[in-house]
Amino acid sequence: MNVRRYGRVFREFFRACLVEEMEYRSEFFGNVISSFFGIGMALLTIQIFFYQTDRLGGWTYGEVLVLLGVFNTLRGCIDFALRPNMPRLLEHVRRGTLDYVLTKPVDSMFYVSFRHLVFWRLIDVVLGFGVIGYGLYVERYVPSVADVLVFLVVMAASFLLIYSLWMMLMTTSFWVVRIDDLSFIFDSFFETARFPGSMYRGAVRMVITYILPAVLITNTPALALLGKWSARTAFAALVVALLFLWIARRFWRFALRFYTGAGG
Amino acid sequence: MIRVSHLHKSFRVHRREAGWFEAVRHLWRRDYRIVEAVKDVSFTIEKGEIVGFLGPNGAGKTTTMKMLAGLLHPTSGEITVGGVVPFEQKPEFKKMMSLVMGQKSQLIWDIPPMETFLVNKAIYDIDDRAFRQTLEELTELLDLAPLLDKPTRSLSLGQRMRCELAAALLHRPRVLFLDEPTIGLDVHTQENVRRFIVDYNREHETTILLTSHYMGDVAALCDRVMIINYGRLIYDGELSVLTEKLAPYKRLEVRFSRLPKMNWSEYGEVAEVEEGAVVLRVARETAAETAARLLQQFEVRDINIEDPPLEEVIARAFQEEHV
Repeated sequence: MNVRRYGRVFREFFRACLVEEMEYRSEFFGNVISSFFGIGMALLTIQIFFYQTDRLGGWTYGEVLVLLGVFNTLRGCIDFALRPNMPRLLEHVRRGTLDYVLTKPVDSMFYVSFRHLVFWRLIDVVLGFGVIGYGLYVERYVPSVADVLVFLVVMAASFLLIYSLWMMLMTTSFWVVRIDDLSFIFDSFFETARFPGSMYRGAVRMVITYILPAVLITNTPALALLGKWSARTAFAALVVALLFLWIARRFWRFALRFYTGAGG
Repeated sequence: MIRVSHLHKSFRVHRREAGWFEAVRHLWRRDYRIVEAVKDVSFTIEKGEIVGFLGPNGAGKTTTMKMLAGLLHPTSGEITVGGVVPFEQKPEFKKMMSLVMGQKSQLIWDIPPMETFLVNKAIYDIDDRAFRQTLEELTELLDLAPLLDKPTRSLSLGQRMRCELAAALLHRPRVLFLDEPTIGLDVHTQENVRRFIVDYNREHETTILLTSHYMGDVAALCDRVMIINYGRLIYDGELSVLTEKLAPYKRLEVRFSRLPKMNWSEYGEVAEVEEGAVVLRVARETAAETAARLLQQFEVRDINIEDPPLEEVIARAFQEEHV
């Protein structure tokens, strides 16, 4: 895969989407307001928790803020690149326009994943980083270079993991053409990642830690930035993410073979 | 340019009876049926040819075209397009061909067509100079100048089709697959699109395979037609030969001031009788003679000898097992 060429194609996707978004400018402002409102409500919720206690699953107020920032940043990334594309795959299959995608000389998984970008969602990423900064300030902790590097690695791993899971979920649309509601399954699962994993008890904790590792996705980067990382965890996160990416890719190929009737 | 030999494609489809009980039963037991969409099709198309691909709905036209475009995997048989096997879906192949489907759009709906062109420029890795040149040429041929900066959603169907064609040709494909390119267009726009296809083919020697329901498309564009029915190729050859073969008669339309009451079948097969006129099918060889006889024996106001309409010829072809 030619990275520079794909960079150019991605830039072109971004530009086309920018033009598309500008067609609906009023929506843009509405969304900025709702982004601010969303993060404001989340902060307020945490405030209310901390009126009662000074620890949440062993995390201090500042640490929970960092976690919330990570959560918001990741969600911003998801809403920027994943959410706009995934339901469209379904449309492509249903309306047959996937044929156009398949005749293009770019990787089809790349195309269906990144063709549509909702750039104003990057505001959530910016706000997320703002909250992370504020959390670190409350905590009076200045991350070292190593902290930041590990943070970036596990953050990327988290994003890859989410991407792979979602991609696999959506790839099933080749067989199940009425899958619209599946992204809501994903949402409710991802919502659990808003809080420290240690807050959950019993079976729920088991599920969200090991089976659907929502908690790890946000908790690991937050802990990294707070200096509480281990090289082994970071490495494991990366390996798991790459493994899932590989599986998602295989699954996509398999689905395409089914679609085109090769070996099906 | 295109070589196809012994191409087969079969699909496995669910079969389900109607009704409640069947719906429930279907949950755990599915019956499958094998449908052979394309059976033993072979042909070659040389560089620069325009070939019309005809057949009734469900005959296997689109399936064959999709296999040629690398979108479907043949069950058996061989295809090469420009020396490459389409289904391997190599970038080399994808850059060489283009597909336009009249019923599906590749343009981005909410923004002007120019944006789609720019996306395609990046996707096909077209350099700036070539892009500008091609776009200029296509803009002129398709009269795109007033359309380029209008949102696609505000374009008419015909305007959109012109943009679709441009989007598909920016990378200068050597092979072009057109699946119903004039569907839904008004007569005038159909004509424009046809003229463009002919001009473009002549200019660039692009190999074109076209399916269409409109006989006008085929008559205007293709010297050679292939007819497919029930998945089999039943005719491959010149359009004029097909007409002679399948319709070895002429249409004789005779108008009278007052239609004489008589048995017309002694002059030829009666196709239609209407007020003051009769339409006869007469063998080619005797058409002139019959016309002369009619003129002599009756008070004829007007007489018209013509080839049977293409629709009629094709409809006959569809009924035949082999032509």
